[in-house]
Amino acid sequence: MRTKTFVILCCLSFITFWIAGCATTDRSEKSRVKWTPQGTVIWDNEFEFLPPPKEWSILTVEAGGEFGFGFMRVDKGAFPSQSTFVYDEEPFGYALNFEKRQEEYFKRYLWTTAMTLDMKVLEKKKVTVVGGEGLAIVAEGKDPVKKEKVKSKVVFGKRGERVVSWYLTQWRPLDGTYDDSAFQVFDTFWGSYKYLKKSFYETL
Amino acid sequence: MEGHQRNLYLYDRFNTRVAGVSVDDVTTLKYWAKSMDVTFPLLSNVTGFLGYFFGVPPSPEIKGYPVFDRRTVIIDKAGIIRYVKDGTPDYKDILLFLKKLNQEGGKP
Repeated sequence: MRTKTFVILCCLSFITFWIAGCATTDRSEKSRVKWTPQGTVIWDNEFEFLPPPKEWSILTVEAGGEFGFGFMRVDKGAFPSQSTFVYDEEPFGYALNFEKRQEEYFKRYLWTTAMTLDMKVLEKKKVTVVGGEGLAIVAEGKDPVKKEKVKSKVVFGKRGERVVSWYLTQWRPLDGTYDDSAFQVFDTFWGSYKYLKKSFYETL
Repeated sequence: MEGHQRNLYLYDRFNTRVAGVSVDDVTTLKYWAKSMDVTFPLLSNVTGFLGYFFGVPPSPEIKGYPVFDRRTVIIDKAGIIRYVKDGTPDYKDILLFLKKLNQEGGKP
């Protein structure tokens, strides 16, 4: 029995390291970032947005990851207190309309992080994003096993005909308090977003 | 598979149909497809026949069982294999290839 437990623990460690290896944080990714006189940032000559304050680190995916890039901040309080927001060109799901897409999306959202999360939608409203229609959803999930919770905001928008998303996750211990300031920073991020060129799919 | 499902509308434009191949049994694949909202055909390849047929190297991780590494194969309308790539599918590469094939008139 002890051997079995050891083997399972080894496997779990391996999986964790594998997932952790997908993303890196680096505030100094200067080659991908250009500042404009207006205080916005141009990312990879493709996107323009208002960046978060300097306590947020840049978060990128090395290859084949689940999102494009984003920012993260370690928050005050016990583990797992942190906030992360990203721009995702390929959000979970397939539909080209927001209603169907959000249903598909929440079947898999945060799936790799916590399969025992029970996500509940708190708020859903239409928004304008990158000059077009969008859908913003605030949801919360609680994991009684790990004694953790997460509050999240997901904004669905369009790039060409495809659905893209911006999302924020804020993790806390089950008895922790959420910090609205991260949500305000996130709203500034997606609210200021611009596409500077056509996507791959628009040029097909 | 998720990427293929997301690109189905583009495959349609390029006159392409996609099928997935897995060594899982039919019942498992039905449940998996339902849970993932996958709508394109999935072929159950429990004997490993299709893996051997397309020359996919067996996975070294599980010996004595027909498990294969991932391979993407594009077959044109004449039945000729035009594209083979191992590993995680490069969806953009696949779409560019299908676009080219469609423009050539060699519709997949």
